[in-house]
Amino acid sequence: MSAAPHRSSSPAQARREDRELLRRYHDEGDTAAREELIQRHLPLVRSLARRYSGRGESLEDIEQVGAIGLIKAIDRFELSRDVSLATYATPNVVGEIKRHFRDKGWAIRVPRALQELNASMSGAIERLTGRLARSPSIAEIAEELKTTPEEVLEAMEVGSAYSTVSLSTGPSGEEELDPLETIGAEDEGYERSEDRVALQPALDQLPDREREILRMRFEEGLPQTQIAQAVGLSQMHVSRLIRKSLSEMREELT
Amino acid sequence: MTPDKELIDLDAPLSPDFQPVIRLIIGGIAERVDFAFEEIDDLQLAVERLLAEAGARDTVHLSFEVGQEAIRTRVGPLDERAITVALRDGDSRPGQLTLERILKTVVDSFGVEDVDGDGVMVRLEKRKAYT
Repeated sequence: MSAAPHRSSSPAQARREDRELLRRYHDEGDTAAREELIQRHLPLVRSLARRYSGRGESLEDIEQVGAIGLIKAIDRFELSRDVSLATYATPNVVGEIKRHFRDKGWAIRVPRALQELNASMSGAIERLTGRLARSPSIAEIAEELKTTPEEVLEAMEVGSAYSTVSLSTGPSGEEELDPLETIGAEDEGYERSEDRVALQPALDQLPDREREILRMRFEEGLPQTQIAQAVGLSQMHVSRLIRKSLSEMREELT
Repeated sequence: MTPDKELIDLDAPLSPDFQPVIRLIIGGIAERVDFAFEEIDDLQLAVERLLAEAGARDTVHLSFEVGQEAIRTRVGPLDERAITVALRDGDSRPGQLTLERILKTVVDSFGVEDVDGDGVMVRLEKRKAYT
């Protein structure tokens, strides 16, 4: 079953309207048309996101991830394609959601109770941040969720899990050599060290969203709460993306 | 009577399996000072980025001085050359994402505290924003 975009017209009429909006966006740069396309197809995202609920991630977070897939589909859509936007967007949305779960890499290993606690933490943190006008403490989160600080800490760690190449192994999985042992001349050594700590080249390899999040955090110095609002993700999700991006960039340079 | 500062010393394997354990320990310590969620996350990130510069060692030493409203963390030994370049000579250009820039963002202050010939120790200071 596929969810129809919100509209009162027939499917054929809706498809024609989509194409007109896509034409206005891609040919004329009409960003209002893009926004309308996003709104029209959010019900599709919600429908697909529901299939992945109950896996330890809040439905809201899954919908946010799915919406990113929708936006990518709208941006990449080629008008020459003889396919509806809903058909084209579906694998993009599902792919984005699956990538999200794969990146977290937790679905099998983590006890369900901790997954559920983690899932409820995003909402609790946002409620408390709004109420207190600051980032809440662990004790405050625990009180909000009627649990203990220790369980909140465990759930935080569960949520921070993601698949990444080991920090102490090289790309081949072998033990990483000490950089000092892999280089010869002194000057080359310093060059290499600078490469390892200046992550700029690897920064360019990141997706736009992750690059923008890193820019807001480390150039503008914005707190995670503000970044989360700006990019439409939960604070916990922003935290995970920052850590994951930095790890990936570091690995890129080893 | 409770002392002004509690000291916690930890020798931890650098194996990836223990990275979550280190994060959990940092979280537990920071929770005792009533750090906010984001402050804990910042300190965990700072340590995680430093551990990435440990080189080919098997273990790393972490020490925590836990005060009323702040935590001083020492991490090492770390790869001397990488850390020296990053933190002492690190004069990052605008738009360049360096370890120095990351640490400047997530902790209140940091510095190379001890050079013992087998790598360096890095000191991180993180204070509560709201008291």
